[in-house]
Amino acid sequence: MTRKLLAALLVATALSPAAALADDPIRLAFLAASSQNGYNDATWQGVQAAAKEAGNVEVEIFDGEFNAAVQYAQVEDIIAGGRFDGIIVAPNDTVGIATALEEATEAGLLVASVLFPVGPDLTVMTPQVKGLTTTVASNPVIGATAGAEEVVTFCEGKDPCKVVIMIGQLQFPFDNLRYQTFQTVLGQHANIKVVATGEGSYSPDASLTAFQDILQANPEIDVVLSNADQHLLGVEIALKDAGIPIEPIYLIGGGLNAITVDKIREGLFDATASGYPFSEGFYAADALIRAKQGETVPNWIDPATLAKNPPIVTKEWLDANPDFVAEWEG
Amino acid sequence: MTDTTLKTAARPPRRIRIADLAREYGVLVIIVVLLVALTMLSGSFLTPRNLLNILNQSTPLFIISCALTLVIIGGGFDLSTGAIFGVASVSAGWLAVSVDPFFAIVAGPVIGMVLGALNGVIITAFNVHSFLVTLATSLVYRGMAILVTNGKLIPVRIEEFSWLGRQKLDLGGGVAVNVAVIVMLCFMALMMFVLNRTTLGRAVFAVGGNEEAALLSGIRTNLVKIITFAISGAAAGLAGVITVSRLSMAEPQAGTGLEFEAIAAVILGGTSIMGGAGAVWRSMAGVLLMALIGNGFNILNVNPFFKDLTTGVIIVLAVALAAAGNRR
Repeated sequence: MTRKLLAALLVATALSPAAALADDPIRLAFLAASSQNGYNDATWQGVQAAAKEAGNVEVEIFDGEFNAAVQYAQVEDIIAGGRFDGIIVAPNDTVGIATALEEATEAGLLVASVLFPVGPDLTVMTPQVKGLTTTVASNPVIGATAGAEEVVTFCEGKDPCKVVIMIGQLQFPFDNLRYQTFQTVLGQHANIKVVATGEGSYSPDASLTAFQDILQANPEIDVVLSNADQHLLGVEIALKDAGIPIEPIYLIGGGLNAITVDKIREGLFDATASGYPFSEGFYAADALIRAKQGETVPNWIDPATLAKNPPIVTKEWLDANPDFVAEWEG
Repeated sequence: MTDTTLKTAARPPRRIRIADLAREYGVLVIIVVLLVALTMLSGSFLTPRNLLNILNQSTPLFIISCALTLVIIGGGFDLSTGAIFGVASVSAGWLAVSVDPFFAIVAGPVIGMVLGALNGVIITAFNVHSFLVTLATSLVYRGMAILVTNGKLIPVRIEEFSWLGRQKLDLGGGVAVNVAVIVMLCFMALMMFVLNRTTLGRAVFAVGGNEEAALLSGIRTNLVKIITFAISGAAAGLAGVITVSRLSMAEPQAGTGLEFEAIAAVILGGTSIMGGAGAVWRSMAGVLLMALIGNGFNILNVNPFFKDLTTGVIIVLAVALAAAGNRR
């Protein structure tokens, strides 16, 4: 009789709503800016790694197609579908998506933003959206300032020091902010002259075309300052094509991908600003999982402060750290 | 009085000639104006090196536009050239690294030709408009490019492969021309020959002008369409291989938007979007016009915010000039 009672009690406990909740997996959606992009792919791998480590977490990726409207609609669909507990977003439009994410938080979803903060001010890393759980990103001004200051150091004693800026696309608010930061830092030094600006559109091909044209008017340059490693690949080909030696020119990119790490080790490129796509995905998913489990998580996680590598990676640092592996291929 | 009468009598033909010239050569007029303006604004513009630079940069677009001209004259529309460019790029990159660099150079255009022919077969077998079919297949082909690479770049640092995009032939006097430019010029000459001097070319005009009449006169219209799409695909493949060879890098997103640039160049040159009329040289002029605008902006270091606006205004001017000629 006692055994029967015990068995009945066990069955009843197992079938109770509380037990069902405990067994339900945590479901997270990763809204990639584009699923067909190396940086976002590394972020996705980070999300998957955090889910695997936590256990009983299901993750799903959505392709934002580098289109703000597509991503906005995805948030609405997720709210309406009710399948997910949380959203990790790599925003295509940091301002426009805010309204949809507020609706998501009001609907009870946990939301994390990676790479950029969501809201009107790209330099404010604490939540600008009501109810946002966390932002996993570094202040773009800090990275851009560090890159420009490396150029200032290189240009010391060189007058004029001719600089070409290769920026992603100035129509993007974050690229505009980086560009303004470059100009502000470099503008404080009379010996530095920004002779041209080219848009690389995060493509080696577009960068090659733009830089080849720039070289026609400015065959003598000292520095190429870029926010993206992909741009330097095009710059390298243009310099080789024009028969201009690469080594004397200071080349600094951004993103810290594996291809650039190899080029810096070879001595072709000089430096790159660090990027942390895998870490961003991992920390964002980890934060949402912990928040879902009732833990308190920080509302801003800066991957730069948690990383082992410095904000600007140089050949000296790579030589001292031969085992370093970049977080993404390129 | 006689002089006046003679002058009066002579005027109408001259007006007609100017109107015809505007219609026929509107894009060339804009090109000449741009050439003069850029030469005056920058001492770096009118140099052999920069002019060859413009040709080299635009080689992929020149090749695609040449072949697309045949498709559009034949009454078709190809929205899949950018995606075929992407598939051929990553396939050639992968083959160069994994199999053989020379095989990869040949395989790119062949893959493009097969995919283009597939477009033509679907269009003719199901009698669906080429706009819809190529819109759909462009998604399929782009998906294939992503599957090959998993969305990542493929570095192809192999000299046996990169010669096509990077090697130059010395013309003397410090001027060297890229092998890719020579390939492009040969391809252009081939397309002009096919369109103007072969039975196939005449059939393309006939199919685009009046398909029913062409069919009744014994032309195998479906075969002609399939061939034009196969040529377009092969051109996209060749352009993709040249680009990968030049960059030593294959990327799945390569060629995104290229189809619209190519269509814009063909239409801008004056080839009829309705089919049945046009010329390869016109498309070359269209590409050159767009290349000059981009080159000018970079050389003059103009704020990129104005680039799209200026490009749009110049295209409207060119089209308006041609349209004005038509009205007269």
